Amino acid sequence: MDETCQHLSYREEGDGKSFDTARAFCTVTESFVQPMRADVCNARYDLDPAADCEFYVDPESEAAEDEDADRGGDGAE
Amino acid sequence: MTYDDYIDGKPAVITAALTGGVHGKEAHPDLPETPAEIAAAAAACEEAGASVLHLHARRDNGERAFSTERFQEIADAVREATDDAVLQHSTGGTAAPDALRHEPLRTDPAPEMASLDMGPLNRYDRLTSENTRELVSSLHAEMKERGIKPELEVFNDGHLNESLAILDELDDPPYLNFLFGGGTTSPPHPRNLVNRVEALPEGVEFNVIGFGPHQLPMTTQSLLLGGHVRVGLEDNRYYEKGELATNEQLVARAARIAEELGRPVATPDQTRKLLGLRGR
Ligand code: SF4
Repeated sequence: MDETCQHLSYREEGDGKSFDTARAFCTVTESFVQPMRADVCNARYDLDPAADCEFYVDPESEAAEDEDADRGGDGAE
Repeated sequence: MTYDDYIDGKPAVITAALTGGVHGKEAHPDLPETPAEIAAAAAACEEAGASVLHLHARRDNGERAFSTERFQEIADAVREATDDAVLQHSTGGTAAPDALRHEPLRTDPAPEMASLDMGPLNRYDRLTSENTRELVSSLHAEMKERGIKPELEVFNDGHLNESLAILDELDDPPYLNFLFGGGTTSPPHPRNLVNRVEALPEGVEFNVIGFGPHQLPMTTQSLLLGGHVRVGLEDNRYYEKGELATNEQLVARAARIAEELGRPVATPDQTRKLLGLRGR
């Protein structure tokens, strides 16, 4: 992967904080991320959000989980 | 660099680490990030007793920057805002390519000092700052060429081995910085600092950083052992439990402790003589 993490957004407000300049915000942790981690979020320097961030979740599996939840399933087969 | 130095009242160099490269305003609302904010913090810290200013660069949104251009902007602002303090540029940078790690050394004028990480350390759960020997050597070579004094960053005992192995290549006096905290830094305990100091050959100067709550006791112990100290928001966000600090407060406290213990706070001029610096 060499693209920005799909969970990254830039926000001026969130997590009880606000900033004049929009900062990196993670929609998985629902918090602003530290500047060093923002390099991972942005896939800079060959970093890969899926491999290098412990918070990363695959958006496809997330979507599948949502579908399960919509069907009222608990995931047990 | 010994207890005798303490008894003799050797001046103590205080370095202020204003910004760092890891956390930002999401962790401390007043952590300086822009050139103007860093310059203001630098001036306040110089006034409070810091003779060395350890600088990192950030983008406008607080994210890390390593380019010569951004370091130049920050260094210019800091020089303008301060009288005589020594500028020390960080060359640290987890995951940043080796070429970028050289860029902070290339400002005009060059910084008088720069940090030199002596080996790998872990970051978060999946990142490692590699700092290969090859990179350490090439950074050191460029520092020599440009008259920049390296501060060897000794995060753990392995890094001490690496530092002792290149002692002959360093201009006098070698200057080692011992870091204590969690993860791949040394366990923060007084006996570990004593062991370190006892392992140093004659003529080596050392500085001490304690992360977080360890900043105050490790600072005090370093002063007692004839060492120098680094304080600031890069390493410690709190003045005491639950109370956020300013850079200036942390420097002022270190200066008070030094004076109380009979170690006069080194002026920039004394710092240059003690560490063999080129001059601003
Ligand atoms: S890389 Fe990690 S922290 Fe950054 S947005 Fe993606 S999941 Fe969140």
